[in-house]
Amino acid sequence: MTRYLLRRLLGVAGILLAVCAITFSIFYLLPNDPAAAACGKTCSAERLAEVRTAMGLDRSVPSQFAAYLTGIFAGRDYGSGAGTLHCAFPCLGYSYEYSMPVWSLLADRLPVSFSLAVGAALLWLVLGLGAGVTSALRKGSLTDRSLMVASVATASLPVYFTSVMLIWGVVRGAGLLPYPAYTAFTDDPLSWASNLLLPWLALALLYAAMYARQSRNSMIETMAEPYIRTARAKGLPARTVTVKHGMRAGMTPILTIFGMDLGGLLAGAVITESIFGLPGVGRLFYDALVRSDQPVILGVTLLAAFFIVAANLLVDVLYAYVDPRVRY
Amino acid sequence: MNRRTHAALAAAIAATLTLGLGACNTKATDTKDGAAGSTKAPGAASGTIVGGTPVRGGTLTVLSNQDFAHLDPARNWTMPNMDFGIRLLYRTLVTFKAEPGAAGSELVPDLATDLGRPSDGGRTWTFTLKEGVKYEDGSPVKAADVKYNVERSFAPDLTGGPDYAAQYLDGTEGYKGPLTGQHLASVETPDERTIVFRLKRPVAEFSYTATLPTFSPVPQAQEKGAQYDLRPFSSGPYKIETYDRGKQLTLVRNTNWDQATDSVRKAYPDRIVFVQGLKGGQVDDRLIASEGADASAVEWPMMRPESAAKVLPKADVKSRLVAEMTGCTEMLYLNNAKAPFDDPKVREAMMYAVDKDAQVTSFGGPALTDIATSFLPPALTNGVRADPLRIAPVGDPAKAKELLAAAGKSDLKVSLTVSTGDKTRGEALQQSLAKAGIQVTINTADPSVYYDTIGDTKNAPDLSVTGWCPDYPSGATFLPFVFDGRTIKEKGNQGNYSQFRDQATMDRMDEIARMPDVKEANAAWLQLDQDLMKKSPAVPMLWQRRPLLVGTNVAGAFGHPVWTGMFDFATIGLKDPAKGQG
Repeated sequence: MTRYLLRRLLGVAGILLAVCAITFSIFYLLPNDPAAAACGKTCSAERLAEVRTAMGLDRSVPSQFAAYLTGIFAGRDYGSGAGTLHCAFPCLGYSYEYSMPVWSLLADRLPVSFSLAVGAALLWLVLGLGAGVTSALRKGSLTDRSLMVASVATASLPVYFTSVMLIWGVVRGAGLLPYPAYTAFTDDPLSWASNLLLPWLALALLYAAMYARQSRNSMIETMAEPYIRTARAKGLPARTVTVKHGMRAGMTPILTIFGMDLGGLLAGAVITESIFGLPGVGRLFYDALVRSDQPVILGVTLLAAFFIVAANLLVDVLYAYVDPRVRY
Repeated sequence: MNRRTHAALAAAIAATLTLGLGACNTKATDTKDGAAGSTKAPGAASGTIVGGTPVRGGTLTVLSNQDFAHLDPARNWTMPNMDFGIRLLYRTLVTFKAEPGAAGSELVPDLATDLGRPSDGGRTWTFTLKEGVKYEDGSPVKAADVKYNVERSFAPDLTGGPDYAAQYLDGTEGYKGPLTGQHLASVETPDERTIVFRLKRPVAEFSYTATLPTFSPVPQAQEKGAQYDLRPFSSGPYKIETYDRGKQLTLVRNTNWDQATDSVRKAYPDRIVFVQGLKGGQVDDRLIASEGADASAVEWPMMRPESAAKVLPKADVKSRLVAEMTGCTEMLYLNNAKAPFDDPKVREAMMYAVDKDAQVTSFGGPALTDIATSFLPPALTNGVRADPLRIAPVGDPAKAKELLAAAGKSDLKVSLTVSTGDKTRGEALQQSLAKAGIQVTINTADPSVYYDTIGDTKNAPDLSVTGWCPDYPSGATFLPFVFDGRTIKEKGNQGNYSQFRDQATMDRMDEIARMPDVKEANAAWLQLDQDLMKKSPAVPMLWQRRPLLVGTNVAGAFGHPVWTGMFDFATIGLKDPAKGQG
């Protein structure tokens, strides 16, 4: 297991390095010039050159990339003279738009995205797996057909549509909830939950529908396996057969997808956060795109890649515990 | 100041000076059919105060879809952020009156005791600071602090701010700001309350220049480089309590600000909370409903055109709509650097081909915007709508065809690049130009790269759409930025998107800049504007308004003509402070 973990961690580092290099390179193919954007409207050629030097953009691309990588582990300085700022580990660059280190911006926004992702994930797991397993166990029944029709319908609705409908119906129409505004869990847990309820629902409805269909298929396949028949034949209670033998194996593929989905969402749900006005990483990413804030775009991309590969790794490790057939 | 400064929205600014008027001009209040500007009554409050006089106290909330570009006074050069910074956080040597309409464009001393005293034929300007002006920590504001911030505007680490100091001050070549210990000799502070600016050339309107945030104080001891953006040290009526970028800014009273030293700012609310990151449509909806805390809120982004249908038919909601002129001119830029628009006849034909009424419709209708009949907005011409060509608002395709035929270009095919949000307007242009036989291919660019796309002079499209807003009420902050050929840059070109390079125009601009009399200079800018209309480097299309909703508990709200029609934060407040607590 240790050797497996070490090998995988090296792989994770390699993937992150590749993502970093590719994203970094892409910026130099784009038509926009961060120095010209920062310099302002009446920027002379001399002034532009000074700004480019101040931003470190006068150096070669490999040199800038090396400085960026070094900064992640050892930190680096931005600015000059009395205005020097030390960007400490893990220095993911400096946003000239926000006048802040990228990591500070991400750390500030992560609790919002984390709250959104985890709450929504719990909701879609309960709804999705509940519907999927129920359907599988009552295959062909009216309940099965109704649930699957409902899941197809829900999965067909894009999240921006569901979000807007929820706001129109629940906030503007019925007036049951105020417009969402993020409150930290530590400040007021009740307000935290009530503000996030609609974004959770919007995301959960989309994912639950997909999870219902996936888990139904997986459970139907698993429940048809010979070892399930054996378990039943030896007189095990139906509940034990379903939960211990059926679900444990049937949920393995779901775990894989769940890891990827949750990993991706932790680094921000761009559409949901933007529609509900939640100041998470997704909204930060959207604003960075609009403002061509390349250091932030790079930082969020790296963070997203990190969460996805880390979640993947975690899922692979969890396999060993969920599925007794898997051993490393 | 171009549209980039408005985060891909529209435009802004304005003001008034007494000018000599040309023969073809019409007053803003005139309504004429046909040739002159079809001035339609605004659909909402313009030049009036909404909500009456505020009562001191309570919390005013500002609902926004965006964060500030910069609050550091050396870097704050975007509208309406300048309004927010200058009215609430820092004072400048001179400022504008806090009054709606034309009176708002009049200068009053702020940190200084007067509007500045010119000498040496306008090459030297001296200001004396008032006594008793303090920072948030109770320390006195000194002349050296104003000098220090002027110097900061040169630092390459502190980008984005007004560059008028670099344009006007003497001996600034190679100067890179004070962060590395270098100082400017052309700004002198003989004592703690006197500051003297020595200029390269006479600048008659330097009092106006001194309204910019560059001319506010920053004590050297508070220097934090680029980080100063996050927490400017207050000399205004409020100071920053918390600022979570992209989320929320909370201002509380600066107890060391003394009303007796400030004739402009009233500082009615106890707190101002600026909520960021909301969706524009939701901001409109919340203010239309005006429920709970939203009754004590105002909106920062312009009301969206699609919300007009929910506002204008309802008298109670419409009465809470402020819609001051932005002072910006929205233009169709013609690429003068290549065929077919290198031909003046073809450019003149474009003046006749564009249906400006269709542009008004695509931009939310006459309640939210007016057609433009010249480049300089009425804010710079004492409300006068110069109309030298006297073309009908719907255009004159027959005349355009005639001009094109005379130029031997009857079958034109041109490209138009618009931002994705402006596609409807692009299509309206496409249809109107088709009537004159001009075939337009529309390319859309994402707002994040739009200005880079049209600012890449080698690959610039034939046509592009954007606007320009002056920094203060003077033609000097408009025409040279938009039509001076010497400002054209190969990449990142801004302002002169037409790439118009006309020696006579440039010579005249230099002559006007040297004029020692402001009144004479402004009359000359107005005449140059009319001359430029005949040379047709671009087609002026719209003079926009800034529609902004306020909650039912908001008082003292009006759009300030200088700051693109944004609320004057110097005087806004609440009717009932008890309803705006929190």
